[in-house]
This record gives sequence, C-alpha cells and structure tokens, in this order.
Amino acid sequence: MELEQSRALFAKNGVSMAAISYDSGEILAAFAQKYAIGYPLLSDKGSDVIRRFGIFNANMTPELRSYGVPHPVEYLISPGGVVVEKYFVENYQHRVAGSAVALDRFGEVAADASAVTLESGALQVQIGFPSRRAFAGQELSFFARFTLQPGWHVYAASSIEFETEAVERQEVAWPEPETMEVPALNESQKVYTGAFEVHGKLLLRFPLPEGELVLRGRLSLQQCSESICEPPQTIAFELPLVLEPFVISDRDREMKKKVTG
Amino acid sequence: MARYNFRDAAEKTEAMREFGRLRAAGLPIPAEVRERHVQATNDGYATGPEPGERVPDFALPDQHGALRSLKDLCGPNGLLLVFHRSADW
Repeated sequence: MELEQSRALFAKNGVSMAAISYDSGEILAAFAQKYAIGYPLLSDKGSDVIRRFGIFNANMTPELRSYGVPHPVEYLISPGGVVVEKYFVENYQHRVAGSAVALDRFGEVAADASAVTLESGALQVQIGFPSRRAFAGQELSFFARFTLQPGWHVYAASSIEFETEAVERQEVAWPEPETMEVPALNESQKVYTGAFEVHGKLLLRFPLPEGELVLRGRLSLQQCSESICEPPQTIAFELPLVLEPFVISDRDREMKKKVTG
Repeated sequence: MARYNFRDAAEKTEAMREFGRLRAAGLPIPAEVRERHVQATNDGYATGPEPGERVPDFALPDQHGALRSLKDLCGPNGLLLVFHRSADW
C-alpha cells in the first residue's frame, strides 16, 4: 500500500511509521499479510484513542458500520511526543501521500520518481513527482529544480500550472526572491538566480480510473541577462503517473461480484 | 457544488445510508446523493492536536497482538502516525 512504499525513505531519516484504526487485531493481521505491510497496525477497538485525539467522527449513528471512524489525519510526532506537523485534507476521500511528506520533510525522492528535464536558453529545470505511483484522491507534492547560467535571472512572477482535468486544486510555494537593481530602468526587480528549488502540491480528483495518468503542465517565465530579455515563454511538459487500483476489502469485493454478476 | 445543511446526526446518517444502499445494489449514484454523503461524512472535520502540542499517550495492540506504546513506536527522529477509517472496507 502507499505508506509501505515510502517506509524506507522515512526509516532512512530515522522516522518510523504506524497506523491506527478501529479494526480488530485479526482484521489487521489479515490486511498486513495480504498487502505485505511492514509497519505496526494498531487496533483501537472501541475508538478510545481516536476519541482522545479529538478526531472521532460524530456524524454517524451507532448502527452504521462506519460508526467509530476518525476524521483521517496523519501526525509527524517528535521523540518527545509533540506534534511536529499534521497532514490532512478536509475530506475523507483524500489523503496526503507518504511520498509527499518524504519530499517536503526530508527532500527524498523515490527510485521510481516521475521527472522530466526542460532546457531553454540559460535555464534548465528538472520537474517531477517523488514517486510515479499514486492513488486517486491523494494530495501529491512535486518539485521543480531550477538552474540558471551565471549572469541570467528569471522574474519572480513565474508560474507552474497543471491541467485541471484530474487535478482538483494546486498550489506552488516559490522561495523568497532576490531584489536586483536595474539601473537602465531606474528600478528594482524581484528575481531568481543560480540554483533554486520550488515545491508544489496538487490534489488529485476522486474517483479517477486506475492505470496510467499523464499530468500535463505548463511552466511560464521570462529569462533575462544583464543586457537582454528573452520573450516570455511557456514550456509545456508531461509527467506520467500510475494510479494504483483501490484497495477494497474481500467483503466488498464479494458484494460487488454478487451485484454485477 | 451545493452546500447541504443537516439538522442533526439522523439526517447525516440517512444521507450516508442512501449512498450505501445504492452502492450495495450496484445502482448508479446521482451526483447529489454522493455529494450529500460526502458532506455529511466530512461535517465538522476535526484534526486533533496542533503542531507544538503534546499528543495523548497510548498503548494499543498491533497486528501480532503485541502491546505498543508511543515511546516504543517512535524512531530516533520521530513517528508518522496515520489514522485510517478501516482496513476492512
């Protein structure tokens, strides 16, 4: 499953993993075996710990099977037991990808990263996702590593945007730009020079069909040297992802089979 | 997307049941039924302790039946603790 894929990257950085749900030990044992889960799955039958964390979902009445579930949240906890960061999307259908946390927290990229290198003029950009594998509904992080030749800069008003067909929302965190004096224009500009890295997040829609998903995006910027400016440019790129099939329980699979014959 | 107002937990439960009934029967689910179910489920999305706050101490059995405490689960640089809805469905 998704967290298991990122577990080695977390372990490399000294962070372990554990999951909590209201399932019994037997159900968790079967699940761990079926999906080769190597981290602890903790049984919070009766949802006592879920309640103590303050995330008990109070919208269900007791006769529903979903009674007792939490609002899904992930916490990065320090060895002292203090929350360092928490990760959630305010919608149970969405989860923050383990690969996103590994990238944002540790700068880690998996062996199966999906990335492309774009080159134009004085600029080289490596843009991609830390893992090629994803699930519908996940919040993914992406990186864009820029390298500009000496003497060249790009204006801070640059953008990276993905097509929205499979993307519900997206945002990019650009680093603090430098202020550069432009004597010829008697003004100062906000620019980026040299090598710098940008991280962004995007939320995949839910549901999406499983299989290959090609995310198309556009990088827009303008590069200038001390003496000339190139025309503003938009560079299109594509990043393939593989959407894993949704994990459904044997019970739900049987139910589906009965219904669809 | 319409914003639904639910009077009480009973109304939210009914929204979830309607969705569940159609899904169990393999029938197509109208967008409003799906949306009502999702909004009912997400209502009052609580996210627990904030960065900087201490988490509640706990000890729970794992999939091997061993009792695990927060201290024992933590790695040298910490722990990613994930709360799931269920492994069973």
